[in-house]
Amino acid sequence: MSSNLRLRLRLAVRNLIRQRRRTLLSGAAMVVGMALLVFSRALAEGGHEDWIDAGVRLGSGHVSVQAPEYRRQRTLEHRMSSDDRRVVEAALAEPGVARRLVAEAPRLAVQGLASSASSALPVGVAGVDPTAEQGFSLLPERLEAGRYLEPDDRLHAYVGARLADRLDLQPGDRFVLTAQDASGEIVGQMARVVGTFRTGIPEADEALVQIPLHTAQEWLGVPGDVTSIDLLLESSRAVRPVVASLATALEAGSNPVIPLDWREAQPELDAAVRMDDWADYVFHTILFGIAALAIINTILMSVMQRTREFGVLRALGLRRAEVGRLVFAEGMLLTIVSGLAGMVLGLAVVWLFFRDGLDFSSLMKEEMTAAGVVIDPVIVPRFHPTQIAQSLFFILSIGILASIYPAWRATRIDVAEAMKFSE
Amino acid sequence: MTAGEVRDGEIPAAVRTENLWKVFEHDDIRVEAVRGVTFRIDPGEFVVLAGPSGSGKTTLLNLIGGLTRPTDGQVWVDGREIGSLPDRELAELRLERVGFVFQAYNLLPVLTALENAEFTLLLRGVSPAERRRRVEKLFERIGIAGLEDRLPGKLSGGQQQRVAVARAVVGEPALVLADEPTANLDTATSASLIDLMAELNRELGTTFVFATHDPLLMERARRNVRLVDGSIVADERRD
Repeated sequence: MSSNLRLRLRLAVRNLIRQRRRTLLSGAAMVVGMALLVFSRALAEGGHEDWIDAGVRLGSGHVSVQAPEYRRQRTLEHRMSSDDRRVVEAALAEPGVARRLVAEAPRLAVQGLASSASSALPVGVAGVDPTAEQGFSLLPERLEAGRYLEPDDRLHAYVGARLADRLDLQPGDRFVLTAQDASGEIVGQMARVVGTFRTGIPEADEALVQIPLHTAQEWLGVPGDVTSIDLLLESSRAVRPVVASLATALEAGSNPVIPLDWREAQPELDAAVRMDDWADYVFHTILFGIAALAIINTILMSVMQRTREFGVLRALGLRRAEVGRLVFAEGMLLTIVSGLAGMVLGLAVVWLFFRDGLDFSSLMKEEMTAAGVVIDPVIVPRFHPTQIAQSLFFILSIGILASIYPAWRATRIDVAEAMKFSE
Repeated sequence: MTAGEVRDGEIPAAVRTENLWKVFEHDDIRVEAVRGVTFRIDPGEFVVLAGPSGSGKTTLLNLIGGLTRPTDGQVWVDGREIGSLPDRELAELRLERVGFVFQAYNLLPVLTALENAEFTLLLRGVSPAERRRRVEKLFERIGIAGLEDRLPGKLSGGQQQRVAVARAVVGEPALVLADEPTANLDTATSASLIDLMAELNRELGTTFVFATHDPLLMERARRNVRLVDGSIVADERRD
C-alpha cells in the first residue's frame, strides 16, 4: 500500500472516530438500511420462489416439453409420440438437466365434458401417472375426501371439490367424461370418483379431473402418447440453463418438441411475480436513498466543519484532487464498514428465519390467491450467493454516490478563505 | 528587464513581486487589499511584513505562498513565476519549497505531534524511518522531545506552535511564511519561539517572512517592510 493511501485511510479512520456520535448515527442508518435490504431481498426471493413453486406444482412445472403447436392449439393433433418421448428422455439424461431435475410428469390433457345424473359441465381432463404426480403435483396433498389415484387404478377419477359438488358427486359415484379422440370422434369414458381435492383456486376446483394416464391413452386412442412432459426443477433459477440444454438436445429430433419455461406456460403468474418485483425495487430504492442520504449528510457536514483543515492541507502541498480523495475515502470507509455490518446482520436475520419462516397467517383472514396460485402465509426467506454480490454492489454504489459530492465540495475550497474559517 | 528575470551570476530572489495587486469585490464593495507592491526578498533573509490590521500583510503573504491568485502583477518564488502555475505545480512548489506557520497553529487534530510534523515528508515519499529520525532530531532541537505521540489537543499553545514550526521547516524549504505566529502566545513563549526561528534561519539558511504586528518579532527582524492600505510605505534594513 502506498504511503499516500495509508495516510488517506489513517486520516479517514481518525476523522470518523473524532466525530463519533455522527459517525455512529449515520453508520447505524446504513447498518439498518442494508440489513433490511438483505432481509427483504431474501424474503422476496423466498416468497416468489414459494409462489412459483406452488404455481408450477399445480400447473405445468418449471419447464414443460411439448410440441410447438400445442401451446396455441391444445388438441391431440399436437401430441408427442412414443418416439418423441424417447428423444425427450434422452435429453433429460444430459448431466446439465439431470442434476437439476427433481421430478418429471408425463401428461395427456384434453378439454371435455363431465356428466352426472344431475348436470354436465365443461372440464379439463388430465391423464396422469399417479406415482409421478405424488412427487410433483400439489393436488395429492389437497385431498378433501376419498383418496388420490394409485398406480393400479383404471377407471378412477380425482375430481375438483366444487366440480364434484356441482355434479352432485361423492367418492364412489360414477360419471361420464366425453371428449374428442385422436381421430376427431366424440368418445365417452365412464369413471368413478376416487377422491376430491380443494386447492382454493377456482379454475382447478371447478373444472379439473385427473384420471390414470393409460386409461386416458386408451380412451382417446393414443397409446403411449402424451401432450406434455412436465418437469419440476430444484428452483426457478435452474430454469434458464435447463431450457438451454434441452433446446440444444431436442433440436436434433426429427419431429422437434420444445421446452417451454413457466413464464411462457403461465404468463399470469409471470406477470404477478414481475409486478411484485417492481414493488420490491421501489422499496429498495427508498431504502437505498435513505442510506445514501445518511452518509452524504455525515460527510458533507464533516467537510463544511473542516473547511480550515482542508485549507491547511492545500497549503501544505496537497492538490485539489488529493483533498477530494481524502473526503471520498472517508465516505467510502464509512459506507463499506457499516454496509458490510448491515449485510452480515441481514444475513443473520435471514438465517434466523431460515427454518420456520415468517408466518403472516394472522394478516390473512381467508386463503389468498393470485395469478392462479394460493399464497402460502408462511414465507421462508431464501438465501442465494447473488444476494451478496447485489449487496456489495449496493454498498459500493451508495458509497460512491454519497461521497462524490462532498469530495467535490472539498476540492472547491478557496485556501485563503478557508484560513479565515473558524470551527 | 523585469523584476523577475535573473541576471548572469545573480542569485535568484527567494521572493520577488512586480506591481502586485489583489482586489476583492463583493456585492458592489471593492477592497484593494494589495496595491501595486513591487519588492524583493533575498535567500536567507528574516523579514517582517508589518502594519496595522487591514494593511494587506496577510493577503501579501497568501499571494507569495500561492494560496490566492493575484488580480494583477506577478510573483516569483525561488525563481518561478507562480501566478500562472497550474494547481498541480503550485501544490508541488508549496510542498517542496515553501513552509507555512499559521496564527492558529492549524495542526491536524487527528494526527499526533510526530505525524503532523512529518506530514510534508510523507507526502514527498520519504521513508518512515527517515521521517521519524528527522522529526525526532528537530523535536529535540526545538525542545519538544517526548511529545511525539501526543495529539494537538493535549499540547499547550506554545508546544503546538513549535510542532507547527517543525512541520514548516522539517522538509528544509527555501522559504517559510508565517502569519502572526506569536499572536496567540504569551510573551515568554513568543520570545522563545522567535529565538528558535532565528536560529533555524541562521543555521539552515531558510528565508523567513512574517506577517505580524508583534513588536518583539519586529525587533528581532533584520528587515521591516511596512504596509499601509496595501502599499509599502517603508522598507528598513538592520544589520
